[in-house]
Amino acid sequence: MDERLEKALDFSNFMVTLNNQKRVLFEQYQQNLVHYHKGGQFSVTQELISFCQSLVALEQETVVLTDDNKQPIEIDPLEDFLSDILNVYAEASNKYLSEFNKIKKNRSVEGIVEYE
Amino acid sequence: MSKGVLVFARNNSQVDYVKQAYFLAKRVEKYLKLPVSLVTDNLDYIKSNYKDYKKVFDKVITTEYTTAFTLKRYNDGSLSGKQLEFKNDTRPMAYELTPYDETLLLDSDIVIADTTFLECFNQQSDFLIYRSAYDLANFRDYSEFVHISDTSVPFYWATCVFFRKTPENKIFFDLIQHIKENWQHYNSVFQLNRTVYRNDHAFSIAIHIMNGRQEGSFAGKMPGKLFYTTDKDILCDVQGESFLFLVEKENHLGEYTPIRFKDNTVHVMNKFSLNRFIDKELAND
Repeated sequence: MDERLEKALDFSNFMVTLNNQKRVLFEQYQQNLVHYHKGGQFSVTQELISFCQSLVALEQETVVLTDDNKQPIEIDPLEDFLSDILNVYAEASNKYLSEFNKIKKNRSVEGIVEYE
Repeated sequence: MSKGVLVFARNNSQVDYVKQAYFLAKRVEKYLKLPVSLVTDNLDYIKSNYKDYKKVFDKVITTEYTTAFTLKRYNDGSLSGKQLEFKNDTRPMAYELTPYDETLLLDSDIVIADTTFLECFNQQSDFLIYRSAYDLANFRDYSEFVHISDTSVPFYWATCVFFRKTPENKIFFDLIQHIKENWQHYNSVFQLNRTVYRNDHAFSIAIHIMNGRQEGSFAGKMPGKLFYTTDKDILCDVQGESFLFLVEKENHLGEYTPIRFKDNTVHVMNKFSLNRFIDKELAND
């Protein structure tokens, strides 16, 4: 095989693996952003965090939030909930960053999938 | 209220479902700390092959050995496959057979790697099931997992189901039993055009009926995502919570792309590659 084509195909395989790995990492990140509270399931978004933060700033102690399954859940105390979702957000995002950086630095298929 | 996991395992001539159930039970113990009960039709096989089965399983429930089966293609990667018998007709009896008030019903080819399933027991809904799932390959045709046929009702995955013992759930499981017994009729009414009975379809039809034949809230959503690989992908290795798969490559028959998958539970449909891995694990034990 022409050496130029061989190198291009190797790179193409590398890119497919890299893109797949990035896609799976993002799906897992979204899964890790879910917070379970009183039988409700909340996807932690910047919007949810800001909303709770605003309510806490207005000295609200409780609130009713609709979860991912459209169930109303009473949040009490709101401050604890805010602290929990901030933790979930930070933990999931840091993990995502760390895993993402790991694969970004790798220049081989074996490196991306941590195969020795 | 008692809580536990229920798993069905009935071997065919080439796939050892009991082995998968044994492996699943060990991982349930590790990650979920829940008792596991096994439903099988061959207690003697377990007694002779798994000496510590009483320690691994909370209860072993035996059902009558029957020769009734359906035929199904079992692939081992994208180029190899076999037509084998598949005994899936006892799953509708889960409600009657479970020894628990709150049951997590799992397929034997689920590989647990996190604690998400524990959230089921905190949910308000008495019946939870996945309506969608995430394929690690992400390019295949998923229409069969959206509706049970092009002109029919929404698809639900009977792979992982949570239920409490309630009168409503008793009606639901009795209905599935009825659907199974009258499969030709429901197959025709719901325009499946398949002669083979499939639990996913029976559960989907039963949910549709329970909801008053429209979209409804009888079935709650299982927590988290159901990640899966099909039997056209290959499981290469599992180290704790870290999996290495070779997933089918788009438009390149027989070629694969490696994927590292960590810290989440995954449904491994390639029974052959799962069993090869379990063999390795058990040999190291």
